[in-house]
Amino acid sequence: MSRGNTPSQHNSTLAISPLVGSRSIQVPPSQQQPRSGIAQNTGTRHWSGSHRAAQTPYHSVTYSPLVQKIQSNASLATPAPAKDYNGGSTAGLLASMTKNGLFGPTVPSILRRVSAATGSKGSKNASGGLETEELLDENQASNTIDIAQLPAAEKLRLWRHDSLMQHQYRTAEYIGDKVYAMTGDPNDAFWLAQVYYNSGSYVRAVELLSHNNLDTSSVMCRYLMALCLLQLKKYEEALDIVGETNPFQDPLGNHVKNQDGGIKLESSMCYIRGKIFAALNNFDKAKESLKEALQVDVKNFEAFDELVSKNLLTPNEEWTFLATLDFSDLDDNEEFIRSLYTSRLSKYLNLDEVRKAQNFLIDEYKLHDNTDVIHSSVDTLFTQCKFSDCLKLCEEALEHDEFNFSILPTYISCLYELGGKNKLFLISHKLAENFPKHPITWFGVGAYYMCTNKISEARKYFSKASILDPTFSQAWIGFAHTYAVEGEHEQAISAYSTASRFFPGSHLPNLFLGMQYLLMGALPLAEEYFVLAYDVCPYDPLLLNEMGVLYFKKNDYVKAKRYLKKAWEAIKVLDSESKSWVSIHTNLAHSYRKLGENERAVKCFKLVLETAGKDTDTLCALGYVYLVMNRIGKAVDALHGSLALCPSNQTAHALLKQALDVNLSTVLDESHPLVVSSKIQEQGSVMSRKRAANKLDVHTMAKKLKQGQISSEDEGVDEDSMDLE
Amino acid sequence: MDPSFVQLLLDIKCELRDSSSRLSRLKLYNSSKWSAEALCGMCEFPMPSDTSNLLKIDESPLRSRGQASAFTEGQSKETTGGQEDAPMESKEYDLFLLASTLFDCKEFDRCAYFLADAKHPELKFLKLYSKYLSWDKKTQESMESMLTSGSSNNSSNGRAGTKAGSGSRDTLDMLRNQDPRKSNPSKKFQKSSDLDHGESTSIPAILKELNEYLPPESDLEGSGIGMSLLYYLRGLLYKLQDIPSNAISSFLSAISIYPYNWACWNELLSCLSRPDESLLLLKILNDKFTSEKYQIMLKFFKLSLFQEFNGNIDDFIQELDFLLSIFPNFAFLKTQHALVNYHYMDYVNAGFIFDQIIKLDPYRLEDMDTYSNILYVMQKPSKLAYLAQFASGVDRFRAETCCIVANYYSAKQEHEKSIMYFRRALTLNKNCTSAWTLMGHEFVELKNSHAAIECYRRAVDINSRDFKAWYGLGQAYEVLDMHLYSLYYFQRSCALKPLDKRMWQALASCYEKVDNVDESIKCYTRALQLSFNADLDTVILYRLALLHGKLHDIESCKSYMAKCVTTNESADGLISDEITKASLWLAKHEARNKNFSEAYKYALGVTHGTSQEIEEARAIARECRKRMD
Repeated sequence: MSRGNTPSQHNSTLAISPLVGSRSIQVPPSQQQPRSGIAQNTGTRHWSGSHRAAQTPYHSVTYSPLVQKIQSNASLATPAPAKDYNGGSTAGLLASMTKNGLFGPTVPSILRRVSAATGSKGSKNASGGLETEELLDENQASNTIDIAQLPAAEKLRLWRHDSLMQHQYRTAEYIGDKVYAMTGDPNDAFWLAQVYYNSGSYVRAVELLSHNNLDTSSVMCRYLMALCLLQLKKYEEALDIVGETNPFQDPLGNHVKNQDGGIKLESSMCYIRGKIFAALNNFDKAKESLKEALQVDVKNFEAFDELVSKNLLTPNEEWTFLATLDFSDLDDNEEFIRSLYTSRLSKYLNLDEVRKAQNFLIDEYKLHDNTDVIHSSVDTLFTQCKFSDCLKLCEEALEHDEFNFSILPTYISCLYELGGKNKLFLISHKLAENFPKHPITWFGVGAYYMCTNKISEARKYFSKASILDPTFSQAWIGFAHTYAVEGEHEQAISAYSTASRFFPGSHLPNLFLGMQYLLMGALPLAEEYFVLAYDVCPYDPLLLNEMGVLYFKKNDYVKAKRYLKKAWEAIKVLDSESKSWVSIHTNLAHSYRKLGENERAVKCFKLVLETAGKDTDTLCALGYVYLVMNRIGKAVDALHGSLALCPSNQTAHALLKQALDVNLSTVLDESHPLVVSSKIQEQGSVMSRKRAANKLDVHTMAKKLKQGQISSEDEGVDEDSMDLE
Repeated sequence: MDPSFVQLLLDIKCELRDSSSRLSRLKLYNSSKWSAEALCGMCEFPMPSDTSNLLKIDESPLRSRGQASAFTEGQSKETTGGQEDAPMESKEYDLFLLASTLFDCKEFDRCAYFLADAKHPELKFLKLYSKYLSWDKKTQESMESMLTSGSSNNSSNGRAGTKAGSGSRDTLDMLRNQDPRKSNPSKKFQKSSDLDHGESTSIPAILKELNEYLPPESDLEGSGIGMSLLYYLRGLLYKLQDIPSNAISSFLSAISIYPYNWACWNELLSCLSRPDESLLLLKILNDKFTSEKYQIMLKFFKLSLFQEFNGNIDDFIQELDFLLSIFPNFAFLKTQHALVNYHYMDYVNAGFIFDQIIKLDPYRLEDMDTYSNILYVMQKPSKLAYLAQFASGVDRFRAETCCIVANYYSAKQEHEKSIMYFRRALTLNKNCTSAWTLMGHEFVELKNSHAAIECYRRAVDINSRDFKAWYGLGQAYEVLDMHLYSLYYFQRSCALKPLDKRMWQALASCYEKVDNVDESIKCYTRALQLSFNADLDTVILYRLALLHGKLHDIESCKSYMAKCVTTNESADGLISDEITKASLWLAKHEARNKNFSEAYKYALGVTHGTSQEIEEARAIARECRKRMD
C-alpha cells in the first residue's frame, strides 16, 4: 500500500472516506477489487435493508451518517468498478436522506435495538441483508458473529467508525489502535489521529502523526497535524507544518475542478494558515491566506466567515473580493451560495445588491425564516442605526433560536443603544447560565453594566470577553469605551489601537482613536486617524461628523461645513431616528454661524430644537445668532429659554445682558416692532369704525404686516402663511 | 321665521348632535361636552315636518354602514359635507370595542398594544392618543414625587411663615425646588417613558408614526373624523414640542376636515403668541373656510380670539348678538359676554352676567375664577365668600375652586393661605396661567420679588399672551433695580397691548430710569395720545416737561408745564402734586426771566403741596411783588 494514496490537495476528505473510498482508489486492483466489492455489497445491503427498515425505525447503522457516507462514496468515488450497483446505491443515498437519517442513531438505546432486532428475527422477516443489519447493530457487543465475507480488519474499522460517529471515543481509540497495530496502514494511523483529535488529546495526535512521518507524505495528515498544533497554540510549529505560503499554488492560475463536492484540502490548508497568521497577529498575511482559501474553493465558508465577521477586509475590499470569486464549482447552487455570501457583506455600500440577494433567497428558497437571512437584515438595520426596528427583528430571530451567536452581539448592542436594561439583564443571565465560557455572554454582562453606568464592572466583563476571544471586536471596543467614558484618554487610546490592529477592516477603532485625540486636543494625530478611517469607510455619518468637528476646531469652517453636509446627506439617506444625528445638525449650525450664514444657522438650530428638544447651549447659540442678526426680540427669547433650563449659564447671561443693552439703545422709530404693532392694532380698530369692505382691508393689513415683519422679527407667521397658502 | 334660517338651525343642530356623539365615542370628552352644551342651549324653532335627517346620529360605526344607504343621498351629503371615513369592518369594530373599554379603564398601554396594527383612522387615533396619554401619565408620575415633597414643605412653611422673613425665604426656596417641574413641560418631551426593555414611547416617536400615516396635506378630500382627529393629535404634539407653526397648520387641516371639534379651535388659539399673528390667522380662516358649514364654528372662534387679542369691538358685539340669537342659553356664550365686559373693565355688567350664568347653570365651575376676580376687584368679600363656599361644595378638587378660594383669602389679606390655594390649583391644572399670575401678585404683596418673578415667568412660559404677567415681570424687576430686564418685559407687555396707555407709561419711566431721555419722551408722547383725556393727564405732562428740561429744551418744557397748570381750570379745582410742582417751576422760571407778574401769578397758584413747597412759593411771590413794585 503506497502512502501516496491519501488524497491530494484537490480532493476533500470525502476521497479518503473511512473504509470504502480509500480502498476504491487504491491502485492494486487485484487486492482492491474484492474489498471494494464487499464494501459495495454492504452498501447495497444497507440499502436493501433500509428499504425494509422503513417499518422498523431502529436501524442505527442504516441511519448513521457513516453509512450515508459509504453509500455516497460508492456512487461518487468509485465510478468504474461497481457499475451495476451504481443505480442502487444512489437510490440508497436518496432513501437514507429521505429517512432523515441523522437522528436515527442517537435515539435508541442498545437494548431496545437488540430487542427490535430480535423481534424482527422472531417475525421471521430476516433475510440475509437484514441479518447483516442486526450484526452491524450489535457489533459492539458481538463481533464474534461473522459479517459475511468481511475480513477482520474491515470489521474493526467499521466498529471504530461507528463508535467515532457515536462519540464513543474510548471505544474508537481502543479499536483504532488495534487496527493500526494490525495493519500499519497510514490511513488507519490517520483515523486514529482523528479519534485523538476528536477526544481532545491533541498532543497524542501530533505525536502519532509525526512519529510515522505521516505529515510529510500526506496532505491530509499535515492538515490534521496543523489543526492539532493550532489547538495547542503552538503557532510557529503549526506554521512550519503548513508552510508560510501555499505550496500547491498554481502559478498559471489553472483552476482544478473539485470532483467530489467536498471542500478542497488545499483550501482548508490555506484557511488554517490564515488562522495561524491571525493568531500570530500577522493580519495582512492572514487576510491573504484566507482570501486564497476562498479563491481555491468557494465552499470554504469558514474562511469567508473569518474574513467578514472579524472585519479583516474593508467594506470596499469585501465587495471587490466577492466579485472575483468563482462560484461555478457549485453548479446549480451557484446563485444560491453567491446570494448567501452577498447578504453577509458590509452594509455600508451596495445596499441594493444586498437587498436583491436577500429577496432572491427569500423568494427562491423560502428562507425568510432562516436566521442567516434575518441576520443580514438585522445587520442592515444596525448599520443604518435603526435600532428599534433592528431590535424587533432580532427578537423575532431569537424566538426560533434563542442563542444564535451571530445575532446575539447585535441584539445586545441594540438593547444597549436603546437602554433596555431589563432585557439585557435577562439575556445576560440566561447566557451566563448556559454558556459560561462563551465571550458573548460576558460581552452581554459588560453591556448591562455599561447601561447601568457601573463602568469598572463593565470593564471587567468586557476584558473577560476579549480574553476568551481576542478577535471579538465588539468586546474590545466596549472595553476601550469604558476608559473613554471615564476620561482616561491614554488607556482608551491604547485599547482602541489594539482593536484597530485586530480589525483592520473596521473603521470604528480608528474613528474612536481620532475622537480621543480630538478630545485631547491633538488635532494632527486626530486627523491622521480620521483619514485612516475615512479610507476604510467613507460612508459613515458619524465619521463625517467627527471630521467636520475636527476641521471646525482647526478653524477651517469651509471644510467643516463640507463634511458636515456630507454627513447630513448620509443620514437623510438612512432616514433613522438615532439621537446622535442631532449633534450633526448642531455642528452644522455652528459652522454656518462661523461662516456668517446666519439664516441657515438659524434654520439648523431650529431643526435641532425641534428634533432634540430644548437644550441650554443650543438656545444660547441661537440667541447669539439672532443677536448678530440684530433680531433682538428673538435673541432675548432664546437666551431666556437657555437660562430657564440652566440658570447658571454664564455665556447666556453675558449675551442676554448685551442683547438687553442693544434693546435699550434701539431707537423707537417707525420701524421698531412696538410702533409697528401698535399701528396695526390702531388700524384694526379704525377700520372697524369705518366698516368698509372687509376683505380689501384685510389684504392691505396683511401686506403692512409683512412689511413690518421685514424690519421687525417675524418669521413664525411667515412660515405659517407659506404652509397654508 | 325665515325658512332658510330654520334650515340653517336644523343643520347646526344635526351637526352638533352628531359631533357630540362621535367625539365622545372617540374619547374627546371636553369637545363632546361643549357640543352637547351648545346643543341644549339652542333656541326653540319650529321643526319642519320631515325630521328624518335628525336621525343622523349613529352610535355604532357599524350601523352607519347599513344606514348610509338608508339616507337619501342629498341629505347625508349636505350634513357631513360628503366626508366619511370608510366604515369599520366587523372585526375592526370588535377591536374598537375592546380598545374603547380599555381606554375607559385607563389602561392606555394595553389599548395601544391591541391596536398596534390598526389601519382604520379612528382606531389609529385611539391608539396614538392612548400612547400619548400613557406617556403623559408616566412623565407626570415621575414628576409627582417632586411635587408632593414640595407641597409638604409648603404646609410646614405655612405654619412657620409667621416670621415673615424666614417664611418668604422658604417659599422662595420651595419655588426653586420646584424648578424641575417648570423646566419639565418644556424639557420632558425629549424624555421617553421607558419600560426598560428597549421599547419606549416619546413624543418624537409618536409624531414620526403619525407623519408616516398621514397623507400629504393636499389631498384631504374624502377623509373623515378619524383623519381630522389624527391631525388634531399631531397639532397637540407639535405644540408640546414648541413648533407652533407646524401645530397651527395641523390644526387647520384638522378643522378643515371636521370643524365641529371645539378643543381643536381652542388649541389653535393657544398656538398664537402675538396680535399680528391673530390678524393673519383670521385672514386665512376667512379666506379658507368660506363654506357654510365652517361659519358657525368660525364665529365662535372669533369670539375667543377677540378675548385674547383685542380687536374690533363692534364686530365682536355683532357676532355675539348673532350667536346669542341662535344659542340663547349657551353658558359658554354668556361667559364670553361677561369676559369681554371684564376686559373692558366694566365689572358691574360682567358681574351681572355671571350672576345670570350661575342661575342658568349653577354647577358649572368653568370661568368662575374670573367671576371671583371681578368680585375681588369690586371688593365684595361677602359675595366672594359665598362663591368660595359654593364652589367648594360643588367640587373641592377643581383648579377653578382653588382659585376662587385663593382669591377669597387674598381679599382677607391672608396671602400665605392664598398662595397655598393657588399652588393647589396649579397642582390640579398645571396650565392655569391666571393662577400663576395671581400667585405672582400675592408674592408682590408679600414683598418677595424673586418668588413673584418665578411665578410670572411660569405664567409667561405657559401662555405668552398674558400681558399681565409680562407687566408684572417688568414691575418686579423694577423693584429690584434691574431696569434693562424690566424694560424688555414692559416692551413685551406693550407689544400685546399697544393701545393701553399704562404700558407706554411704564415703558417711558423705565427708559427714564436708564437715562434714555429721547425714547422716554417718545413713549410718554405715545401714552398721552392714547389717554382718553389727554389734557388732564398731569402726571404724563409733568414728566414730559421734566424730560424736556433735562434736554435743556426750555421752550417745550415750559409749554408742557403750562399745559399741566392749565388742567387746573378744567379739572374743577382738583389739584394734584404735579400741578403744584409745575406751578412752582413756572414761577421760578418766569422769575428768572424777569417776568415777575407771570411768576407772581404762578406762585400764587401754589396752594397745596408740602410745606416746603408752599414756603418756597410764598418767597417767590414776595420777591416778585417786591420787584414788580
